[in-house]
Amino acid sequence: MMHNTDGQSEPVNLVSPALQSHLDQFREQVSATGATMELVARSPDAVRHAVLARASAKRPILIAEPRYLSPDYFRPLRLEEGVLANPNAADCRSAPVGVTEAFAAVVRTGSVCVDIGAGIAGYVSLLPRLHIVVVDIDRLVFRAADIFRLEQFARPAFQRNFVFISGPSATADMGPLVRGVHGPHEIHIVVLC
Amino acid sequence: MPKHVISPREVAAKESRGILRRAIRLALDTESAAVRHNTRSFNLNRYRTTATMSNYDALKDEARRIKEHALANRATLVQRLSESVVRNGGHFFFARDAQEARQYIQDVCKRHRVRSLVKGKSMTSEEIHLNGALEHDGIRVVETDLAEFILQAADEQPSHIIAPAIHYSRERITALFRRKFQTDLPLDTGEDLTRFARERLREEFLAADAGITGANLVSADCGSLLLVESEANIRLTCIAPPLHIALSGLEKVVPSRREFAPFIELLAASATGQPLTSYTSVIQPPLAVPVVDFRGVGQATREFHLVILDNGREALAQDAQLKEALYCIRCSACLNSCANFQVLGGHGFGGATYSGGIGATWEAATTGQLKLARFSDLCTGCSRCVTQCPVRIDIPALNVELRSRLNNLVPLSLAARAMHLLLGASPAEHASAQQTFFAHYDRVASLGTVFAPLSNFFLKVPGARWFLEKSLGIDRRRHLAPFPKKTWVDMSADEEPEKPDALRSPAVLVLADVFTNYGAPERGRDALRCLRAAGVRLHLTKSLPDGRAALSQGMIETARAQAEALSKYLTAENATERPLLVVEPSVLAMILREYRKLLPPEPFAKLQTSTHDLVQFLARHLAEQRSDPRAIFDARKFAPGPRVFYHAHCQQRAVSDPSITVDFLRRLGFEVTCSQVECCGMAGSFGYKKDFYDVSQAVSEELVEQWKAAESEKGPHTLLASGVSCIEQLQYATGRAVLHPVELLATLL
Repeated sequence: MMHNTDGQSEPVNLVSPALQSHLDQFREQVSATGATMELVARSPDAVRHAVLARASAKRPILIAEPRYLSPDYFRPLRLEEGVLANPNAADCRSAPVGVTEAFAAVVRTGSVCVDIGAGIAGYVSLLPRLHIVVVDIDRLVFRAADIFRLEQFARPAFQRNFVFISGPSATADMGPLVRGVHGPHEIHIVVLC
Repeated sequence: MPKHVISPREVAAKESRGILRRAIRLALDTESAAVRHNTRSFNLNRYRTTATMSNYDALKDEARRIKEHALANRATLVQRLSESVVRNGGHFFFARDAQEARQYIQDVCKRHRVRSLVKGKSMTSEEIHLNGALEHDGIRVVETDLAEFILQAADEQPSHIIAPAIHYSRERITALFRRKFQTDLPLDTGEDLTRFARERLREEFLAADAGITGANLVSADCGSLLLVESEANIRLTCIAPPLHIALSGLEKVVPSRREFAPFIELLAASATGQPLTSYTSVIQPPLAVPVVDFRGVGQATREFHLVILDNGREALAQDAQLKEALYCIRCSACLNSCANFQVLGGHGFGGATYSGGIGATWEAATTGQLKLARFSDLCTGCSRCVTQCPVRIDIPALNVELRSRLNNLVPLSLAARAMHLLLGASPAEHASAQQTFFAHYDRVASLGTVFAPLSNFFLKVPGARWFLEKSLGIDRRRHLAPFPKKTWVDMSADEEPEKPDALRSPAVLVLADVFTNYGAPERGRDALRCLRAAGVRLHLTKSLPDGRAALSQGMIETARAQAEALSKYLTAENATERPLLVVEPSVLAMILREYRKLLPPEPFAKLQTSTHDLVQFLARHLAEQRSDPRAIFDARKFAPGPRVFYHAHCQQRAVSDPSITVDFLRRLGFEVTCSQVECCGMAGSFGYKKDFYDVSQAVSEELVEQWKAAESEKGPHTLLASGVSCIEQLQYATGRAVLHPVELLATLL
């Protein structure tokens, strides 16, 4: 049994001790960046449940089609009321929640890597105040440099346009550290396991 | 309070000492508190984060190699980059100077009928004064980085390379926004101010016709940009408007995006001390994603222009002494670890665009005006930045070179000529009377010693300090140590006349450096006593100048000649075959670090292997004896008690690990509290100079605070420092006696 950030037990697969140590470090780093994370089972319903729980009553929820995860994961979510996969400019401007996948996550920095080179992921991960990002535990790498080195990330699709997201947008320019500037104020990472 | 309020713009271009003095006044009067707080917090965070990076040194080596290779191949890389950008569907332009870059960007904007544009933070755009040109064309230019947003509202130049408004406290931002934006919205917290700026800027982003960004790196193979930020304004600038223009210096081009990797890890850690900042984007514009029609003008297609700028960089790349500056990745580690920068910020210690020690070369290179590098005088050569730079740039060496060129820019004044004559300085190397005086400390001191009763009498004559201030710019508030009747070498000859062990070859040589020989002969004697007590057979060398004093004044050739003479003498004395021990840390660092540039490789390598810090040698020697060092040096014998407050010399820390000394003292039974400051502020002659006295005093405040905090927490501490000028500074600031570690040890004998 694994535990999510709220300490609730979740029905997810057991992970190896080595992976567990990476996960612990990832969780610690994610928290240091000001983001949150939880582990959920690899199932479309679990993804839907995790997203809706985190979004609570906020609508609309923008959703960017996954390119690396199976589209099945977002399918039940798309059927929900107030979830938009083809938003117009006004929706993009005002939607409070955006959901994207990440093609990788970085243990040492608590980052997720989001492809912004196609579709609307660039907007969905940027304009809403809450960004929920879904990543498979298999895509955990240790260092940021691994993204440029490991064979699995060397495919052109990954190479074109992406962003390491390490916590919500933030500034120290106005005196104290403030989280939430031009990008999301909150980031929640859903790790499929 | 100052009578006239100095505005930062007024003193941005520091082409004269007068402007530099006024800029220092401005910085100390109005900006220092915010700058201190912010730079020190960046500094601590960087130390904390880099300490956890097991591969930190390897990453720095890799980054350095990439930069060296890229710069050597810049022509090929720029050519390849231009092809990649065009292949991606973008437009490429190489601008030879600021004018060409501005004109190109203005033309693109005109073609697109741009009425408003948003900008991400770009020092390169500051360098070419882009905003003014665009505004002249009637374009609304909106800076979206919150620091640049503040500066745009205040009409000020950046004061820091990554946090351009680092000199603004929250309170001052509130006052500025109230005045500038005439608003009643709440502006009393960081959150309020951020919300205010965000709401204003969100509309600007979505209405903008174009976005302009810089780039942290650009890859030649595929035309990718690396963009590092935390506010998300750069991401918005790249994606919201249909037209994206990126402006970057030619030194940012690397062969492929694989080379981004070490920089991604180094940049954030070196800058803010975060593992990564919120957003590290790797993009290959034009983006193949739809333009969302926020402006309500119908569907638009994306267009991308990359402007690669020379503007003095090519000439800099061909300048063997200064080209290292082009490796800079603009992380600000050097600024944040600089004691002078910490109290001044970039309005005092900086030019119109670039700031700090690294900024002087950049300012001169990009403006083509050497005189604008005048603020390089604020680099004391303390070398704290050298170990912090992720691409290992020797910034103090750049500033010494600039100082030398600035010195030679003007003919020798009459006073300087007289000083040259008096001290036998080479007339080929120009310098002011003040610089010549400090550069030839050895001759000043040897004259002073020869005429000791008279010269000391002169120092006490009423008006003498006034005279020294007027003639040499030595601040009258400073105390000049009296010249000794006997030097260290004289004393040693008296005390050890042909001892029997002189027949046997001594195990070590002790360097009679000029600062200890003339400035603190008793300290030298104590050093020898400690070594002898530990059973070390030794021989004291002649006292020859090592070049440190000359180098610090920009008199490189004098320093080189002195280095060569000393090296020759030491070789003849067989110093390179046995340990050469040095008491004065600035001389130790001179030999171990600066001689690399002044001597041929072989004598340097030999000296480097044989030269040691005297106290550290003693610690190792006793450790090798495997006996309890307290049998010789027992802290319990020290009447004032075991607590000491130790400030390790700045240059010493660039060449050796101060923890060896600290651990040794602890083994002897001392309770050691270490200072956590980069430099004491005296830095050789720096703090004696009238122009810099206030900076020096401001720097020492933190050190004194830390000592006071240690005392109020644990009780009285004996003050301990290793450098002759640190000791002077601490004595001056605290009114207490300050000991060198060897003086402390000698009391235990």
